[in-house]
Amino acid sequence: MSDNQQFQKFTSDPAVMQMIAKAKEKNIPTVWNRYEQMLPQCGFGETGLCCRHCLQGPCRINPFEEGAKTGICGATADVMVARGLDRAIAAGTAAHSGHAKHLAHTLLKMTQGKARDYKITDPVKLKKVAARMNIAVDDRKDNEIARDVALAALADFHEKETPVMWAASVVTPGRVKVLSGLGIVPKGIDHEISEIMHRTLYGVDADPVNLLLGGLRCSVADLAGCYMGTDLADILFGTPTPQVTCANLGTLKSGSVNVALHGHNPVLSEVIVQVAEAMQDEAIQAGADGINVVGICCTGNELMERHGIPSCTHSVSQEMALLTGAIDVMIVDYQCIMPSVASVAECMGTKVITTMDICKITGATHIEVKDETAAENAKQALTHAISSFKARKNRKTDIPEIKNTVVAGFSTESIVAALSKLNDKDPLAPLVDNIKSGNIKGLCLFAGCNNVKISQDINYTTMTAKLLKENVLVVATGCGAGSLMRHDFMDPSKTEELCGKGLFTVLNAIGEANGLGGPLPPVLHLGSCVDNSRAIEIAVALANYLGVDTDKLPVVASAPEPTSEKAISIGTYAVSAGLPTHVGVMLPITGGPLVTRILTQDVKELTGGYFIVEPDPNKAADVLLQALDERRAGLGLE
Amino acid sequence: MPDYKEIFVKTDICTGCNTCKLACAVEHSKTKNLFEAMFETPKPKSRLYVEWVPENTRIPVLCRHCEDAPCINACISGAITRSDQGTVVTDTDKCIGCWTCVMVCPYGVIGRDKALHKAYRCDRCPDLEVPACVASCPTKALVYESVDTFSADRRKAVSKELVTGKGV
Amino acid sequence: MGNHYVIVGGSAAGMAAAHTLRKKDKAGIITVLSDEKSPPYFRPMIPYIINGKKKASHITLSGNGMFTEQGIDVRTDTAVSALDTAPKTVTTKSGEAIPYDRLLFATGSRPYMPETIKGLDTKGVFSLKTLADAMAMARRLQDTNHVVMLGGGILNLKAAFAMLEKGIRVTLVVYSPEVLSQLMEPEDAFLIRKALDNAGLEIMTRCSATDVVTDAGGVCAVALSNGKELPCQMVCVGKGVIPNTDFIQKSNIKINKGILVDKHTACNVKDTFAAGDVAVTHDPVTGEKVTTALWTNAVEMGICAGLNMAGIKTRYTGTFGIMNATQVAAEPFVSMGVVHTRNKDVEVYIEKSGHTFRKIVFNKKGTRLIGAVFIGDITNAGMYRYVIREKKPIDRFKSHLISHTLHYGHFM
Repeated sequence: MSDNQQFQKFTSDPAVMQMIAKAKEKNIPTVWNRYEQMLPQCGFGETGLCCRHCLQGPCRINPFEEGAKTGICGATADVMVARGLDRAIAAGTAAHSGHAKHLAHTLLKMTQGKARDYKITDPVKLKKVAARMNIAVDDRKDNEIARDVALAALADFHEKETPVMWAASVVTPGRVKVLSGLGIVPKGIDHEISEIMHRTLYGVDADPVNLLLGGLRCSVADLAGCYMGTDLADILFGTPTPQVTCANLGTLKSGSVNVALHGHNPVLSEVIVQVAEAMQDEAIQAGADGINVVGICCTGNELMERHGIPSCTHSVSQEMALLTGAIDVMIVDYQCIMPSVASVAECMGTKVITTMDICKITGATHIEVKDETAAENAKQALTHAISSFKARKNRKTDIPEIKNTVVAGFSTESIVAALSKLNDKDPLAPLVDNIKSGNIKGLCLFAGCNNVKISQDINYTTMTAKLLKENVLVVATGCGAGSLMRHDFMDPSKTEELCGKGLFTVLNAIGEANGLGGPLPPVLHLGSCVDNSRAIEIAVALANYLGVDTDKLPVVASAPEPTSEKAISIGTYAVSAGLPTHVGVMLPITGGPLVTRILTQDVKELTGGYFIVEPDPNKAADVLLQALDERRAGLGLE
Repeated sequence: MPDYKEIFVKTDICTGCNTCKLACAVEHSKTKNLFEAMFETPKPKSRLYVEWVPENTRIPVLCRHCEDAPCINACISGAITRSDQGTVVTDTDKCIGCWTCVMVCPYGVIGRDKALHKAYRCDRCPDLEVPACVASCPTKALVYESVDTFSADRRKAVSKELVTGKGV
Repeated sequence: MGNHYVIVGGSAAGMAAAHTLRKKDKAGIITVLSDEKSPPYFRPMIPYIINGKKKASHITLSGNGMFTEQGIDVRTDTAVSALDTAPKTVTTKSGEAIPYDRLLFATGSRPYMPETIKGLDTKGVFSLKTLADAMAMARRLQDTNHVVMLGGGILNLKAAFAMLEKGIRVTLVVYSPEVLSQLMEPEDAFLIRKALDNAGLEIMTRCSATDVVTDAGGVCAVALSNGKELPCQMVCVGKGVIPNTDFIQKSNIKINKGILVDKHTACNVKDTFAAGDVAVTHDPVTGEKVTTALWTNAVEMGICAGLNMAGIKTRYTGTFGIMNATQVAAEPFVSMGVVHTRNKDVEVYIEKSGHTFRKIVFNKKGTRLIGAVFIGDITNAGMYRYVIREKKPIDRFKSHLISHTLHYGHFM
């Protein structure tokens, strides 16, 4: 078996394959080695039937034993898996909203003059958000509005008289009714997370249905956190507009100081990008061609959608970026950073710099980046990068010559702007008309991560290829977007080849009307994982335009290679929003037959959405197509 | 008697995680897939047991396929025989569920399938190169070896322990 | 030329000895003399012949279980009528004298037919012992809608169920206060009784038959000690068994009810051995001399006798006077060792629930396990048997014995 065939079970990205071969040759352990060592994985954990919520445990329920089995406290299998799922949703919610809260604090400090390295970049978005929050905008200074927006954002975290505004004001009026009816409108984002921790404690909620409703409510709080994250980032750093750029390991430059920014929050990466620009000369003096900033994971998406900064790689292949030997420093904030990057960096003679108080890694250098001193801290980190470059500049690097063309940066605003070139009075009309005519069968959002259990990207590419041919308009976020961009799905020159006729016609018409001289890319890049809010925003706009609720739209979601608990909370809010939502990895709930049935069937009666658990990407695509047909039929469309 | 491989247990490194029990049930299911096997009727059965002895010993127990197997002699329907692979096998067609084998097994490792009314036990996974329980064990507390190899390995480990003064 | 081993009796003990001999002595000649017409079969399976669930070919001994050796001369329909230990010869009913080097008595037992019941020789009265009996019962069953069974032992219960399954009405007439009185105290059998009642078996306890009433077709009713008369077309007697020692009684082999053997299954005369139902052995728990009628015991003792006959001196560890396991009417049970504890100076633990019963019996000092009854949940019964039989010290796991949480780890 050739190496490449052997590595196909790890990844379908040829650049990553080259680096896996290198890791093998240099005997550097990677995520795939560790996964193989971890096999077989514990079946109790896989099915959600291991409970460690109290010190009497761990309790395991053997699904093969006869009779009703319970944990020591009496919790049934369904209670156990529902509790576990709730905690995963709470963790995902805490991460997205933690990201948003960070932005809110930065925005507030900026208005108070305490964070001088930040400014309001998009006052239009500021006013749009303020208006949605019932904050007065007329005759007020941007700074004042921004202050009120930041305070409103922070107020959404605790329990208060009003519901979470970033939830209640961003969905359709119909959805507010549905959620209220089920008692799942969140009261405060942190409150919901805390309440999940409470109700899943030893000896509290032991009704699987009630637990699941609690999980759904928390997921709506997660939507709020994501939405807020997008809003505030757009205000501070600009609302994305289409950018022509590139992706994959070939974006690294052997002669430059390569700075990889990894993690999530633009609060860090935006400042690094600014300071890097200012330090180009310093790099050149050190013998480099300049500083080459690249992104990894969602930081990559945030920088790409606003500045066209290239994305180096994503998710499960993050170690591979370091294996090129070309990265001079990897600067990280939080979320999805495998601790192993520190040891791979050490093997490759480079370093990882952690920047956030809540995310330190043994073996990494920590430089705390604070809002108040961000540029100064960034400079410190980049100085490390330059000295690191000096040390490695004569060493051989192994940068795969693989670079994919990407057009990214499709916010709701930029999509509407593009559509308005076709109909400036009624910009949504061309899109809706094409959905009605069947040129566009429907919409599918791809979100989530890569998962070591699946050959990297293969589920995304298999499903997307199938859906595009069936004229489904595909949008993508997070590492899902990362996957698709590294396989040319965001390259406009591939639109004709990849898309069905109807879809191509639409994408081409929009492209031509916007003077691109060709179509939009086959898949629209909506940004990072908090930017799943943009997909919700688009769905809500369509629903309101059609006068229906989101659970009637031909819109589906899929996380075909999920890893993080954030993917679970996102998937759950997609279900809360009424979307058929596919997951390509078994969720640790299958040990609870009732919970499994509720989430894959019965919840449809409540929110209109439901989970589809299907590991086979071909079958999954078929099921999603069926769901779209069902929705179209519901709207009376062919 | 030929030198068959047997399943040995290193009780000192068993953590009592019960993974072997799940793997065993899955291997003896129709679908051989954890997620689907859980929903089969009748439920597939695990053929080994993880017992606990205070204070801290976990002991996987399974059919020893005894050389002089009391169950073979006791069976009143002639359902229990020794296979060519050296295992003691219950022919489910012949088993009438009288449980005499359960009464005579000193290891307590013959189970009763109440739905099928048949006795069942470890078959050392005849279709697999390594039995499912052994393959699944995260700590390698279950070992599939011939008696001679296992004893030789044990001797080596103990000698090393004596020389280095350390546990292995 | 090798030894000539002659085995009288072609069932569990005889055939187990024959196959053991063949394993250990490839050269010897092994002749089994069986008075039955059919080749050896698994005797406990004959209730399934009555209701047609199994055919005779399904229950053949040869090639199954431990009975896999070749080169054993089994002569069916060959009853033995005489024995001479000097010179060493047995003589068949047809007059053939067969010399032996070593001889095994594995003649088994036959049903006890109480003389207090008149008319037991009537057509339609059976006692289930042989395959031929079972086949005859199956034939009679075609014209039968009610069967009266005399005796509440395990064999009668099995036969009763075989017939109930065919939709035939069955009444069990039991002299004792409860069924299975050999295997447990009447009050301990409540779960089994409940299951039997639910299964539709009619049971009359503290009652016995006095007369079998006949007409032209054979039996037409049974008269009972309580003055009632039960119309029926078939009667099955299951009142225990007696060892088959007829042709031996005239010889110099010591007999006391059964044939007396030493610890190595040998009789008092050189080169003669006995095993199975016919042999008087000892109960390792009580130390008493016992005869039993259990397939499993007979096989074990037959193996032991085979080894001793082959010259491999092997001690027979004895059998519990009481030991049995089976499932009647979806209720599995195991009974072994000392289980009748009324007025006995022993330590007893009883645990009962709606669907399980457990009785654990220790000696007076509470230092040794001597008996156990499990109904409903028979998990790990074999370990209890092991502890009883091997007289294991129990101080380390007594509480587990009582709470039924014993497992093999406790022996390590």
